Amino acid sequence: MKLPNLLKMTAAAIVLSASAAHAEVKFGALYPFSGQLALLGEESARGLEIAVDEINAAGGIQGEKVVLVKGDAVDNNQAIGEARRLISLEKVSAIFGTYSSARSIAASQVAELSGIPYFELGAVADEVTSRGLKYMFRTNPYAKDMGEMVVDMVVEKVAPGLGKQPGDLKIGIIYEDSSYGTSVSKHQADFAKEKGLNIVLSSGYPAATVDMSSLVLQLKQAGADVVLQTSYQNDSVLFLQQANEAGYKPAAVIGGGGGYSMQPTADAVGHDVIENVLDVDFTQFLVNTKATPGLEAFVEAYKEKYGIAPRSGHSLNNYVGAKALMESIGKAEGFEPDTIVEAVKAIDIADGQTAAGYGIKFGENGQNERAAMMGMQWQGGKLVAVYPDAAAVSKLNIAN
Amino acid sequence: MRKTVTDSTLDTAMTQARPNTLPWKRIGLFTAGMLALLIIPILIGDQFVSHIFVTIFIFAGLSTAWNIVGGYAGQLSLGHAIFYGIGAYAGIILMNLGISPWLGMFVGAAVSMVVAVAISYPCFRLRGPFFSLATIAFLEVFRVLALHFRELTGGATGLMIPLKFGWEWMVFRDRTPGLLIAFGMLMVALGVAWWIRSHRLGFYLVATRERESAAQAAGVSTVRVRLIAVAASAALTAMIGTFHAMYLTFIDPSSVFSLTTSIQIAMFALIGGIGTIFGPLVGALFLVPLSELARGWLGAQALGLHGFVYGVVLVLVVLFMPNGIVGLTGRFFNGKNDEKKAQAAPIAAAARASRPPIGNDILVVDHLDKHFGGLHVTRDVSLTLKEGEILGLIGPNGAGKTTVFNMISGFLKPSSGTVKVRSEDGSMMMPVTPGDFAAIGVGRTFQIVQPFAAMTVEENIMVGAFHRHSDVREAREVARETAHRMGLGHYLDAEARGLTIGGLKRLEVARVMAMKPRILLLDEVMAGINQTDVRRAIDLMLSIRDTGVSIIAIEHVMQAVMSLSDRVIVLSSGQIIAEGKPQDVVRDKQVIEAYLGKDFVHAEA
Amino acid sequence: METFLQVLVSGLMLGALFAIVSVGLTLIFGIVKVVNFAHGEFLMLGMYLVYLFTTKLGIHPLLTSVIVAPLLFVAGVVTQRFIIQPLMSARDDHIQIFATVGLSTALINLALLLFGADIANTPSSGLRTPITFGPVRVLLGQLVILAVSIMLVIGLQAFLKRTQTGRAIRAVAQNRAAAQLMGINVNRIYMLTFGIGAACVGLAASMVAPLYPTSPNIGTYFVLTAFVVVVLGGLGSLTGAFAGAMIIGLIDSFAGFYIGSDVREVVVFGVFLLILILKPSGLFSNRLSLSHVSP
Repeated sequence: MKLPNLLKMTAAAIVLSASAAHAEVKFGALYPFSGQLALLGEESARGLEIAVDEINAAGGIQGEKVVLVKGDAVDNNQAIGEARRLISLEKVSAIFGTYSSARSIAASQVAELSGIPYFELGAVADEVTSRGLKYMFRTNPYAKDMGEMVVDMVVEKVAPGLGKQPGDLKIGIIYEDSSYGTSVSKHQADFAKEKGLNIVLSSGYPAATVDMSSLVLQLKQAGADVVLQTSYQNDSVLFLQQANEAGYKPAAVIGGGGGYSMQPTADAVGHDVIENVLDVDFTQFLVNTKATPGLEAFVEAYKEKYGIAPRSGHSLNNYVGAKALMESIGKAEGFEPDTIVEAVKAIDIADGQTAAGYGIKFGENGQNERAAMMGMQWQGGKLVAVYPDAAAVSKLNIAN
Repeated sequence: MRKTVTDSTLDTAMTQARPNTLPWKRIGLFTAGMLALLIIPILIGDQFVSHIFVTIFIFAGLSTAWNIVGGYAGQLSLGHAIFYGIGAYAGIILMNLGISPWLGMFVGAAVSMVVAVAISYPCFRLRGPFFSLATIAFLEVFRVLALHFRELTGGATGLMIPLKFGWEWMVFRDRTPGLLIAFGMLMVALGVAWWIRSHRLGFYLVATRERESAAQAAGVSTVRVRLIAVAASAALTAMIGTFHAMYLTFIDPSSVFSLTTSIQIAMFALIGGIGTIFGPLVGALFLVPLSELARGWLGAQALGLHGFVYGVVLVLVVLFMPNGIVGLTGRFFNGKNDEKKAQAAPIAAAARASRPPIGNDILVVDHLDKHFGGLHVTRDVSLTLKEGEILGLIGPNGAGKTTVFNMISGFLKPSSGTVKVRSEDGSMMMPVTPGDFAAIGVGRTFQIVQPFAAMTVEENIMVGAFHRHSDVREAREVARETAHRMGLGHYLDAEARGLTIGGLKRLEVARVMAMKPRILLLDEVMAGINQTDVRRAIDLMLSIRDTGVSIIAIEHVMQAVMSLSDRVIVLSSGQIIAEGKPQDVVRDKQVIEAYLGKDFVHAEA
Repeated sequence: METFLQVLVSGLMLGALFAIVSVGLTLIFGIVKVVNFAHGEFLMLGMYLVYLFTTKLGIHPLLTSVIVAPLLFVAGVVTQRFIIQPLMSARDDHIQIFATVGLSTALINLALLLFGADIANTPSSGLRTPITFGPVRVLLGQLVILAVSIMLVIGLQAFLKRTQTGRAIRAVAQNRAAAQLMGINVNRIYMLTFGIGAACVGLAASMVAPLYPTSPNIGTYFVLTAFVVVVLGGLGSLTGAFAGAMIIGLIDSFAGFYIGSDVREVVVFGVFLLILILKPSGLFSNRLSLSHVSP
């Protein structure tokens, strides 16, 4: 008989600690705060936190203060458990998350069953919004957008830059073999075929690897001019270093987010080595701010709150999505799930009006149809926006 | 000193032992506890509490299933997520084809059993950590294969179920049905675990875990029983995996074929009490809420803090509760077994019938040679044992006596030569494995005692008794009777590890006697038994012989050799140097030489 | 042909990396007979120490081994004394595995707590310089690893064979009870062995850190491979482990190139399982160490 008492007490303790003031609305912040995905999970959550700070500073939502309740989605079972805790114990009105696609898919099924809106701000797998869920909305661009933009960049920039027809380029696609890499690379391959590109190699590998030299040799052997890699940090570093050391210099390397967007990657690889490496990812920070109003303010707020510059664009994109969603909820009356859904469906923000550059308007399946990735390039040790032209702060260099 | 043991003496002895009725009090307590576990979450009626209980039930169930292999059989599998994953994938793949997971779980269970047997069979040769490492390697292989075969498994992106609700799909909007199913699965797992533990299979598994060779000598087909255990465990694991997949509604290779999950499953059992029926449940009841609380309190504080605390707590728990929670409470409630209370009781004097005449050859050994590399351990050893005869096998240390024993009980393959045993129907057979020898009625003891240390005296003897009696109750009766004959009646409930060396020697004999063998191979059973008991032991042997059992005894206690043996064979440097009546043999020059007069002088005196 | 040579050399270099990481584990696994799941975390710990010493004090990464190896020696001794030794007499020898799993979890999260999940970059200090032999390229740091791992194996071998302590260690490995009877303090030998094993990992760390980005999870990338290597080489045999590491490195490299990077783990573990099942005493079994299969 001890256990249930203990549980009740804990439940009470959690409720007490979280509901000090009245007139507040609670939202769940479900991210992997521990385990392997902790770094970018936390980085993503920071964007949400800043959005909440701004909303609260401006008087809250419908006059009520926003309180974030964190949930740690360290694995799928945990994601479900935490989603349930947030919904039933904390009585949150909606859940924001999740960075990891797998956790998002698992947790949003729970939210759907409970009829609680689930807002995805950062996970990229197709399945997040392809399931026809009623309460699921995703503000960020996803795997398909990424694959499309990578291929567009090859066709529109890389090929002309090299003075070649796109069809003459040899494309090598390599990807870490978890959900992230496989789904992005699948879209890369699909779009590449559509545009008549020549894929000479497509290979997955485990992200937890200590050696990529055989893959580098395979690419070298296949004579790939353009390498598309979708990767986390460790494997991005390994590939760039080992390719460099093997004397393998493809005309262009295009990273698909992950490790390619992070400053420590560039520092680890060496700024000379990573020079001119391309990257397609969420909007990062060195962009033409005319296309991204509010970006500078966000970076300032971030620095103030956390004492360092943002570590990746994940925070920015979470911030943009969360802020737009909360503002729309602020225009509604009440926090009933259906009210929230109605409010959110009404969002119509044009491109170029948010800090991430892309606009927001949800399609039938809850996916933000205006979401778009951005093309970037490492130049002088910095990741600068180079594509599309409207957001570019620098010219896209093709070293040849 | 001869006294006849009447039936009534035995009866009084029996009543002192544990009563054989069902422990109603325990059953009541258990039922109440389990019902409480089910009712509490339903009463609280909260989603999160329900989730915690479902998680407890699932992991307790998985851990209970694991415990059949990891605990009873002592094979520390860290690859059990393979079966969990097979169940999960089978359920979801079939559901996507429109087949109910209630069917899917049996498909998953069937596939798991096949896989389990296929990967365990070659791995059983591996001991301890090597078995664990092999299971980890298999798990990694399965994970990568699940990533690779995308058409079937959906690859890295995983598989989802369509949200179809209702009992036939095992998916519910309401929380109670999920709770009921998880609870039901746990009960099934506990039921199977209980059944195995309390039947012959469980005794065999534990015996195999404790001493594989002794179990083989007791006629246990050690590979078969472990394969049955693995198959049962895999099937249960897969079925729970199917349900968990339905509960999660989404699976992917890295979360399903995960080493972390495998370790967790084993950990619950370990912390609760490995090898006990309820240990895994207790472990899950303790750890699941604990890690939830840790996460709740520490999770948001700092990156990695709660993982750090969890790791440290784990180390501390292992350090200070190495026998698990059940072990701890068990010790607390039951007190210490009075293992050191007294010396063993005297061996009961044996009743003697008239001796049947010596019959035909029952064991024929022809030209046995055994060499390890260039070293000849035995050379051209030929001997025959006749029905109802006692053959003494003596010789100085290192003469190869035990090697001969190992070859005529299947534990060592002769380099050349044959061993033939006459079976009950009169035909001569050539058994090969220890199991063959046990099946044909050859029982043996080991010179270096091989008790099943973690089992009680009664259970030790029962392992032998199971050879002829598959029913637990019958085996227990036989075991008790045998224990009393061997003077172990007061120690039935003591763990074998607590016995003195003399006690262990008796236990060794008791176990083999409980097998009711036709041929008995005794390897220095008199060593360590006090003088008075040697006399009684001799009587006991004679009384066994009088029931028609043929005996070969390796013995250094010359008093026993002289009074027991009908014939004596002397082995020296791997060769037979003398054979004949005891009195003749001890006068043989060669024998005296071989012994340097040591034991011989003693015997003559 | 050029490619073949490069794959071959890459495999050997990878083998050297596995070798230097596995040498310490060979001692611990082979002599103390403990499956130390925290082995990879010792490496991780060592790499963070190297990172700190190079970035904060500006010491050359190779020189940090002078400090890091002794520090890890202490860590090893402490682990043996306070975590493994109390469990040596436990009913169930499995239990040590879980203690080391707990230790591993605690250390990974401690690193996360102290250093964050970001990668930490140890300056390569010239160790990343490519060296060309005809068509084949290797890094200076990789050659250093190869050379040091060979010297380490030879040195430890000599230590075990020639010195009094080394002989005592081998005696304990062969027969614990007999060694005890001969007056050897078994617990001290175990502590020493665990310490030396951990110190080897410290030495490895100072060579691995300049070549590979350090993160809290880096140890987990190595630990399974290290176990594969040790078992392959025959329990407790240093030269066997070295040869095993080379074989795994080559298999990994060739499988990666000729079959595909996505299934090379299957090939490596498949070979491991085959050898474990067909020749359980390892490829280069050390006859003196205890067998790990049922008779």
